[in-house]
Amino acid sequence: MKNLIEMINVTKDFLNGEDVIHALKQTNFSAGEGELVAIIGPSGSGKSTFLTILGGLQRPTTGQVLIEGKPFSQLSDKQKSKVRFSKIGFILQQSNLIPFLNVKEQLLLHDRISKKKQDKAWLDDLLTSVDVKRLEKKYPNELSGGERQRVAIAKALYHNPAVVFADEPTASLDTKRAFAVIELLRSETKRQKKATIMVTHDERLIDYCDKVYVIVDGVMTQKK
Amino acid sequence: MYLAWKELYRNKGKFALIIVLVTLISYLVYFLTSLAYGLASSYTNAINQWGANNIVLNYEANNNVMMSYLSDDEYDRLEVDGEKAKLGFLPVIINLKDASEDIDTRQAVYVFGVDNDSFIAPEEISLITEANGVVIDESIKEAGYELGDTIEIATRSGDKEEWLIQGFTKTTTYQTAPVIHTSIDNFRLAAFGTTAAPVVSAVVIKGQVTDLNNTGAEIVMVNYSINDFINTLPGYTAQVLTFGLMIGFLIMIVAFVLGIFIYVLTVQKINMFGVMKAQGISNPFIANSVIWQTLILVTFGMLLGLALTLISGLFLAGVVPFAINVLFYVGISAGFIIFAIIGGLFSVRTVTRIDPLKAIGA
Repeated sequence: MKNLIEMINVTKDFLNGEDVIHALKQTNFSAGEGELVAIIGPSGSGKSTFLTILGGLQRPTTGQVLIEGKPFSQLSDKQKSKVRFSKIGFILQQSNLIPFLNVKEQLLLHDRISKKKQDKAWLDDLLTSVDVKRLEKKYPNELSGGERQRVAIAKALYHNPAVVFADEPTASLDTKRAFAVIELLRSETKRQKKATIMVTHDERLIDYCDKVYVIVDGVMTQKK
Repeated sequence: MYLAWKELYRNKGKFALIIVLVTLISYLVYFLTSLAYGLASSYTNAINQWGANNIVLNYEANNNVMMSYLSDDEYDRLEVDGEKAKLGFLPVIINLKDASEDIDTRQAVYVFGVDNDSFIAPEEISLITEANGVVIDESIKEAGYELGDTIEIATRSGDKEEWLIQGFTKTTTYQTAPVIHTSIDNFRLAAFGTTAAPVVSAVVIKGQVTDLNNTGAEIVMVNYSINDFINTLPGYTAQVLTFGLMIGFLIMIVAFVLGIFIYVLTVQKINMFGVMKAQGISNPFIANSVIWQTLILVTFGMLLGLALTLISGLFLAGVVPFAINVLFYVGISAGFIIFAIIGGLFSVRTVTRIDPLKAIGA
């Protein structure tokens, strides 16, 4: 199995006045094709630090992050933006949808920016697989929370990224909808051979995941 | 541009209010400009008609044509490269001869006495066939004056001259009052009570003065450029400056108000922009949409304001000195756009400073 994303000997320290806070102690991590990985831990444990370093939004103090075997964390901010744009899909807690675009336009925005036209069939396939095809002309404020999250998943997958980051994707959903969303995330990860990394504190979801890591006080250990 | 349009389309109400505001202010600016230009023109129309470069006045007159007298001798002495023309200048009050007692038809006008073959004579001077014939600016018609009317002029000698309106001239006003063009003789009759006085007020020159030929040590004649002459017309410079300042400040106010609106809208969207940046969408793309939005708002507001101005002009022409000057409109529009973009750039700075990390709540 090919590693799509790797974290090698990464640490992250913050300065808080005179004190050095070790937000993330030495961490090694990798995720490969078709893997759904869960990162769990209490708030303030270093989960977010981990995910944002992985996603290139923060620079690690030491160590590095590779995407598809290529260096990522050492790139300039501009180059990292480019890699994020083409290789990473984000699904955020508060949905990452743009309020004034309809469902279809949300996905097509990526084409518009990259100036590359994707297959129309791929768009339909994706919208159908997350069951929002009939909603493609609706705006985010006309959708339910579950529908919005499903659109967010489709949006994260549309540009065919290598890695998908999901930050509390089920936070605002009831149990039934949360399971539906996670099931969808899992099936799309397998079907499209992505590495999906999900941060959550919802332990009910871990049955769906291939690997589970726990972070406590900046130390990551594998649970599954 | 895409995001800018989409957002506008989706939030029509909110943006319509902003456009209304820009429209009203730009309406005010365009309208004020038209009025200022109209007023300035009505000060100088008759002078601008000459197409002259210089004017020679008596030194003692201190650049005031009303106080200036030059003799025929002096006119003859003046050497120019180009053409020279005698101008008799006199402010008078006229009245219709057959005016009824209860309707006041008295009007303040300026008499320009000219030789009918000189370059400062209007074309319509050829309509004059009688010795006491005059042509007068058509704006006098609004006061009830008609072709063929006889008008009375109260002269300095106390006699009343009677003149005959034989034609009307266009855009020949001076200090906002209509100008009467007539012969030098009629000017002398009105000014001195006799045609024998060998005196006019000034000499207008198309071209350059080569020699004033002032005799001896005494300075008699002084040459002014037409622009200097206009700028020293009583009240002219003060009025142009006042309007100019008002218009300039209004343009900046529009830019400022628009800048603040765009800034507030941008701040409201910090989270959204942050998420977009986390997704790897570049600063230029986001900044672009902010600037386009500013441009769209200012352009719509501006065009509506201009349309309102032109419509108002149709209704107010004649009531107020409203004049259209395309060059000014273009300049002001460019000013609006430039200042609006500067206002929008503050928001662009905000966009580039958004930290996606904070925006996504990590």
